Amino acid sequence: MRPTLTAAIALAVLAVLVLLPLGIDPYPLRVATVIFMWAALAGSWNLLAGYAGVVDLGPVVHHGVGAFVTAALMLKAGLPFLPSALLAGVVAMAIAYALGTPTLRLRGAYFAIGTLALAESAKQLALAWDRLTGIPLTGGSAGVSLPLTADYHLFYYVMLTLMASVTAAALWLRRSRFGYGLRAVGENDRLAEASGVDIHGLKRRLYVGSAFVIAVTGGTAGYWLSYINAQEFFGTGMTFQMVVMTLLGGLGTPFGPALGATFLTLVSEFLGTRFVYHYLIAIGGIIVAISLFAPAGLSGLLDLPRRLVAAPVGRSGPGGGPAQAARR
Amino acid sequence: MSLLEVRGITKRFGSLTALNGVDVTLEEGEILGIIGPNGAGKSTLFNVIAGLDAPSAGRVLYRGRAIAGLPPHAVCRLGIAKTFQIPQLFPRLSVAENVLVAALYAAGAGLRHARREAAQWLAFVGLADKADQPAETLSVSERRRADLARVLATRASLILLDENMAGLNRKEVGAAVTLLRQVRERGRTLIVTEHIMRAILGLADRVVVLNYGEKIAEGRPDDVMREPAVVKAYLGEAHG
Repeated sequence: MRPTLTAAIALAVLAVLVLLPLGIDPYPLRVATVIFMWAALAGSWNLLAGYAGVVDLGPVVHHGVGAFVTAALMLKAGLPFLPSALLAGVVAMAIAYALGTPTLRLRGAYFAIGTLALAESAKQLALAWDRLTGIPLTGGSAGVSLPLTADYHLFYYVMLTLMASVTAAALWLRRSRFGYGLRAVGENDRLAEASGVDIHGLKRRLYVGSAFVIAVTGGTAGYWLSYINAQEFFGTGMTFQMVVMTLLGGLGTPFGPALGATFLTLVSEFLGTRFVYHYLIAIGGIIVAISLFAPAGLSGLLDLPRRLVAAPVGRSGPGGGPAQAARR
Repeated sequence: MSLLEVRGITKRFGSLTALNGVDVTLEEGEILGIIGPNGAGKSTLFNVIAGLDAPSAGRVLYRGRAIAGLPPHAVCRLGIAKTFQIPQLFPRLSVAENVLVAALYAAGAGLRHARREAAQWLAFVGLADKADQPAETLSVSERRRADLARVLATRASLILLDENMAGLNRKEVGAAVTLLRQVRERGRTLIVTEHIMRAILGLADRVVVLNYGEKIAEGRPDDVMREPAVVKAYLGEAHG
């Protein structure tokens, strides 16, 4: 699609979503908020993995930091929610800078394994924090409770803003100097380096930026659910949900994570209420089917009619089809 | 001041000494050929100059400044760029975007200016009509030219060409030699390694011969090829 048309459609969808709470019930609004949350998380993951080829299996570190720091600022410092969440985002950025400086020198699978281990260490540290430091922050395995004071519309709009920001960032990356540098790193880092790209500096800027979004999302989720515990907020289950949603929707595409988040959340809601014990089996089957028949993800399916109409037969073959994008 | 001075460079990989005390000096505007049998250390020397490998000992001075040990992107921004022996691409970026990355990051151009510059260099190497194709669709000889366009877009004063003509047929080699002469006419300095003797002898002003990581000869191409040590390195004892 042409960039201006894409942007126009995206803005129209955004306008509908901004006005949506006027006309619908709390339940669908809650489902929409869940979708936005996952779209923001998966979208942040996609910026790193889909554009710069950096597979981070520890994004929950930022998520957990965001949740606990937000809670502490609200409960201990008495700050309002929004400043607390934004400050928590800044704290997460500082931590991401310190963590990213050494770890982002690892390449490919080594970085993935390293960050997976980092996430597990962060969880254990959070569980033991209060006992080790004597500073009450995480509540150990009992977790932390927050007051139920905010209107659910607040969470809807905060999560919507987060999703929209991440999507806008992904669109911007397609046509900016920073984006070209990142994609060069993702495609061939040795060559990028030899072309003047400071690969470590670039990856770190993106890593720190995505940490901010993930942390604010975590902080918002914690206040929304009014209960946070390290087991869940630092849990690898969240990481894999981000990965699965991104791959389902389309890795390295601006709208893929939002599509994947929408699809998986709706399917889980629909099947989960009807087949309480067996719906995960069905979801597994659906994921396998999509990866078999639409390896480029759901965004690839959206693109299919255009490709069939526009592309000459010779170019829609193995060279330009979804199979190619799947090699990412 | 010489453009480049390589002094006593030694590079060891474990117990293998790939380069042993190599000295090379290069003046602005020259074309220097580096030849030698497989494993002589040509690519290693290039990687050391371009910052892709740190030397075990020795110094590299570029315009009088010590650059050995700098990261590759810093060396590239100072004005040294190399093509790769196996031509490298950003496969799913378009051909124009491949060149654009170098113009943006090595030359520090703005987006609009960099796009124009990328288009110019693609036209220069004869790939203007392929600009919007994904780079992975290019043939071997087109890849070599795209790699050259990328290197030119870095605005590097010193260009290292690592067997840029390997895999080309006779006609393509002729075209590549003409192209490289034009590059020199535009004020760039070149170091060329090549297996194709005919190409390098017709192109280089001066030749350095490496064998087992050591410099065994240096001089004008015709003279060097008559030196007994060089003949021996290429053809063996019986011919020496």
